[in-house]
Amino acid sequence: MKLVRYILLALGIIFVAIQFIRSERNKNEKPSPTDIAKVFTVPDSVTVILKNACYDCHSNNTSYPWYSHVQPIGWFLTKHITQGKDELNFSEFGSYSTRRQLSKLDEIEDVMNDDIMPLPSYRLLHKKARLSQKEKTVLINWAGNLIDAGGIQVQ
Amino acid sequence: MKKIISGLLIAATVLAACNSNKSAESQNSRNNTQAISQTDNVTLTTSSVKDTKNTVSIKEIVSTYLQLKNAFTNDNTTEAAKAGTALEATFKNFDKTWLTTAQKNTFVDIEDDAREHSEHIGTNDGNIEHQREHFEMLSKDIYDLIKTFGGEQVLYKDFCPMYNNGKGAFWLSETKEIQNPYFGKEMLNCGTITEELK
Repeated sequence: MKLVRYILLALGIIFVAIQFIRSERNKNEKPSPTDIAKVFTVPDSVTVILKNACYDCHSNNTSYPWYSHVQPIGWFLTKHITQGKDELNFSEFGSYSTRRQLSKLDEIEDVMNDDIMPLPSYRLLHKKARLSQKEKTVLINWAGNLIDAGGIQVQ
Repeated sequence: MKKIISGLLIAATVLAACNSNKSAESQNSRNNTQAISQTDNVTLTTSSVKDTKNTVSIKEIVSTYLQLKNAFTNDNTTEAAKAGTALEATFKNFDKTWLTTAQKNTFVDIEDDAREHSEHIGTNDGNIEHQREHFEMLSKDIYDLIKTFGGEQVLYKDFCPMYNNGKGAFWLSETKEIQNPYFGKEMLNCGTITEELK
């Protein structure tokens, strides 16, 4: 019985210790010069959806929940955000080649149609990320129109 | 107290051991890639004509793409995943040193996109519909690649008007006979040849 107590105590110490190992936060005050809104027309109806459902992992600005301060949850989130930004980063969309931009827009349509994104685990914890069919259609039409325009940039 | 300390020590050792294992693994995979690129260089020096080396590599890309296409025609998600991973590796190991600056730019542009699609096809074993969506975009990349560099074999650009919610999609095939990779068995003969690439 004593052993169990010692193990619990040891785990407790480890838990406290890892709280001091914090990963860098995905926060940027300055607007990015290559943000998607700078190269493509993004109507407000689309911006709202992107902010609520996509930007936490696909932009340079994450709105962190309180539990992100608790390790190892914080590490887990950081890993997801890094992966998400690697796949698609709306803050740096303008730096992609036209080919890649078109590819990503096409993928936005696909993940909406197939209900792949936002990730189920994210949807579970973020009510606003549970997109209605109407919201999905808004995104699909927006991406589709940009593709039809051949990725011609606004500016 | 002693027990706590030894407990912590054990935990620390286990953690450290896990970490070192990981780094050993990544070291290994790095060595492997080096080995691959080295063998590539060997074949390179043995080939006497510079230009053929490139077409050979483009040919490799095309033949891996065709394997992928055939996996989709057979509705085989696992084979598709394997071919996707193989295609990513082929792109990665492609020797770009012989290309002119302009050619290199075009190649890198196509490569960036194509590698991402191949990778996704590789990691989505079991979700053939999603794999096919990436295959559609990949086909555009491979078409542009062949248009720029040549494919060194006769290929057909086939079009299926029904895929992608009626928007249609094309693919490249080595056979004159239509064998649809987007629908597989469901609609094997749907499509028409729109272009012959030589």
